[in-house]
Amino acid sequence: MIRRALRARTAQVAVAFLGLVLLLVITGDLFAPQDPLAQDTGAVLQGSSAAHWLGTDYLGRDVLSRLIAGTRVSVFAALTAVVIGAVLGIVPGMLSAFSGKVATWTSLRVADAFLALPFIIFAIAVAGLFGNGLFQAMVAVGILIAPVYFRIIRAAALSHAGAQYVEAATLLGAPWWHVLAVHIWPKVLPAVVVTTANLAAGGLLVVSSLTFLGIGIQPPEPTWGGMLASDLGYLTQRPFGPVAPALAIMGTVAALNLLADAIRDASGDAGRAAEALRNPLKREVADVR
Amino acid sequence: MTSRRRPVRALIPLLLLALLAACSGGAGGNSSSDGTPDPDGTLIWGWHLPTSWDPVASTAGQDVHALALAYDALVQQEDDGDARPGLAESWSYNEAGDQITFTLRPDLTFSDGTPVDAEAVRANIERGQTQSNSTIAAQLAVITGVTVVDELNVTFQLDQPDYQIPLLMSGKTGMLVSPTAAAADVDALAIAPVGSGPFVLTEYVPDSRAVFERNADYWNAENILLGGVELKPPPDPTVAVAGLTSGQFDIAVVPPAQVAAAEAAQLTVEEQRVFTVRTLDVNNTVAPYDNPLVLQALSHAIDRQALVDVAYFGHGEPNWQPFPEGYLAYDESLDDLYAYDPDTAADLLTEAGHPDGIDLTLTIGSAADQALAEQIQAQVAEAGITITIEVATPGVSNYISRQYPLYLDSFSGRESPLQALEVLFGPEGLMNLGRNSPPELDAAIDAARQVPLDDPAYAETLQTAVHTAVTTMPNTFLFTWPRLYVHGDNVHDWQHQIGTVRFEGVWVE
Repeated sequence: MIRRALRARTAQVAVAFLGLVLLLVITGDLFAPQDPLAQDTGAVLQGSSAAHWLGTDYLGRDVLSRLIAGTRVSVFAALTAVVIGAVLGIVPGMLSAFSGKVATWTSLRVADAFLALPFIIFAIAVAGLFGNGLFQAMVAVGILIAPVYFRIIRAAALSHAGAQYVEAATLLGAPWWHVLAVHIWPKVLPAVVVTTANLAAGGLLVVSSLTFLGIGIQPPEPTWGGMLASDLGYLTQRPFGPVAPALAIMGTVAALNLLADAIRDASGDAGRAAEALRNPLKREVADVR
Repeated sequence: MTSRRRPVRALIPLLLLALLAACSGGAGGNSSSDGTPDPDGTLIWGWHLPTSWDPVASTAGQDVHALALAYDALVQQEDDGDARPGLAESWSYNEAGDQITFTLRPDLTFSDGTPVDAEAVRANIERGQTQSNSTIAAQLAVITGVTVVDELNVTFQLDQPDYQIPLLMSGKTGMLVSPTAAAADVDALAIAPVGSGPFVLTEYVPDSRAVFERNADYWNAENILLGGVELKPPPDPTVAVAGLTSGQFDIAVVPPAQVAAAEAAQLTVEEQRVFTVRTLDVNNTVAPYDNPLVLQALSHAIDRQALVDVAYFGHGEPNWQPFPEGYLAYDESLDDLYAYDPDTAADLLTEAGHPDGIDLTLTIGSAADQALAEQIQAQVAEAGITITIEVATPGVSNYISRQYPLYLDSFSGRESPLQALEVLFGPEGLMNLGRNSPPELDAAIDAARQVPLDDPAYAETLQTAVHTAVTTMPNTFLFTWPRLYVHGDNVHDWQHQIGTVRFEGVWVE
């Protein structure tokens, strides 16, 4: 499936871009041309130059170096939310395909209730309760992501739950975890991959929005959203200042979405799951039918 | 869905952003005309709508400027902060200084027709003292009784000799609200002010705008040259200049970073000296801030001029005390009290028992203070002070919770300098996070309170109190910063007030 997906030109570009981002996440500011925290108050808000390719910020720090250093925090935070959502959503989603009427009804209503909460406002509320940290905010977002996983994986698993080979395995005495691991998991895997790529993109947008609003920032550590916010205050001095962090956010989100699309196109079932992602309620209507 | 369209769609906001950036720096400026006052002209003023139009219930200090449109106070402040007659044309103290009698101007009425008389003053003071949501009750506690002498004379009995009362009566505390309106429906005052100020409210859309027209019955109406004022919430800093050039606002406050854009757009920038001063609130009951040497080291390690130059684009003055230069309470001997000197700072740290440096956490209220905090962090590192910057939990008021012992703050002053000292250093002062003060400071404030404002000794006793406060208390002052008003050339004679904004003499073409 992955190999088929990678035949698409868009997927190749997306993977190359994400590879670069991942490299920056792993290496941190190793490749930063300058110390991202070093201030030069004699050279603030400068445009591009040989010494500073993307110019300097309001304290004379090298913007390129800060952009590179900011990659790790921004991407890590988005991944935190996705991992928490996956852990809380995937297995319960598969199990729910086999659960009884009461458990199904209850779990679906709980999931719907969580889906109704807006990510960013919920994250700000959690930061208000548990302290202004990005980790707290992203745990909150992870909890809100879980029902998305739950819904999609349940929908994907449901179509295989009644299959004859699953019934045969159950009749032969296979325990539930064996059925899930051997017969269901491979079928829902494409949906998991597509959903993860989509949610990682969404998670990054949420991280960027929160740091843009000043939630969970840890000055002077740079974040993409934080850089975007502070650059907007100095548009007069550096009109194109916000472009670099905006492009970093946009490029990564676009790459994740393109990759998700390519994988979806390469796997039929997951395609339907991806549709459901856009409107989980639509899937619910199909379930009922 | 097609995967190819997505990146294109995602590009649209970016293109809009670039367009906005290009537009906001564009040339322009309000067109000039014949330069004569338009008696019907309305000034569109970008300033915060008040938390309540009832001065008794208003919860934000900055509300006073908006409230001054609808209300006049017993006393007004001069440009330099002194007291001048307002609704009261004169006042006098008794010999002991514990009674003050205000004489009102004759034949004044509130906008609902109720007379502005001694009875109205008594009703206002009593409402301020007793209303359950009053935010001025503490300031009025000094008044133990109000006696109506006759229609125009009213006497306040005080719990001690206190010559600050006229100044106290020049802020929200002294604004008179129609007692008829307050008795009819006190809650309605929050959205419908009934005062005797220079303007009368004609339309109010909460969070959007308040429209005022000139009050022909105002005692100083002949000096009100505007037909009206439309108050609108200030524009976002990034679009402030665009809002002013497009005529969305006639005048608005902008942050220092926008001054260059305003000047490039041919707008007039007026730098107004006001009370605002950046400061570090400190809780001296929490280690290591219980050691004055640590705070002196921190103060010596901060290059205030560099903070002004970089974070405030040169708009401001380094300062080591709560009042700006030129104000009566300003004590010259405090200049350069803790001059920038990393070596002295390091020596003080060693003396304080931290020869290898010290770790501190500096809390900021929002990302807006990030630049200033990051610059302080880098400066003090040279002296061996490692600062971790923390952003306060949204919604937390450190004045109440006092959970952050070192907090980057700003102080906006008070009408009475002693009231300002109480807020900053008094044992109940909001900005005194340790809620303690030495007896010599209480004595110095009390001594200043008992000197008449026109006594030649007043300035000196006041400055002594300031000196005592600054040298005994942990609050660390950084620099005073001006209010930066920007307007087109259709706005004339904008008044420079150190305190409340006033509109006498202001006119538009």
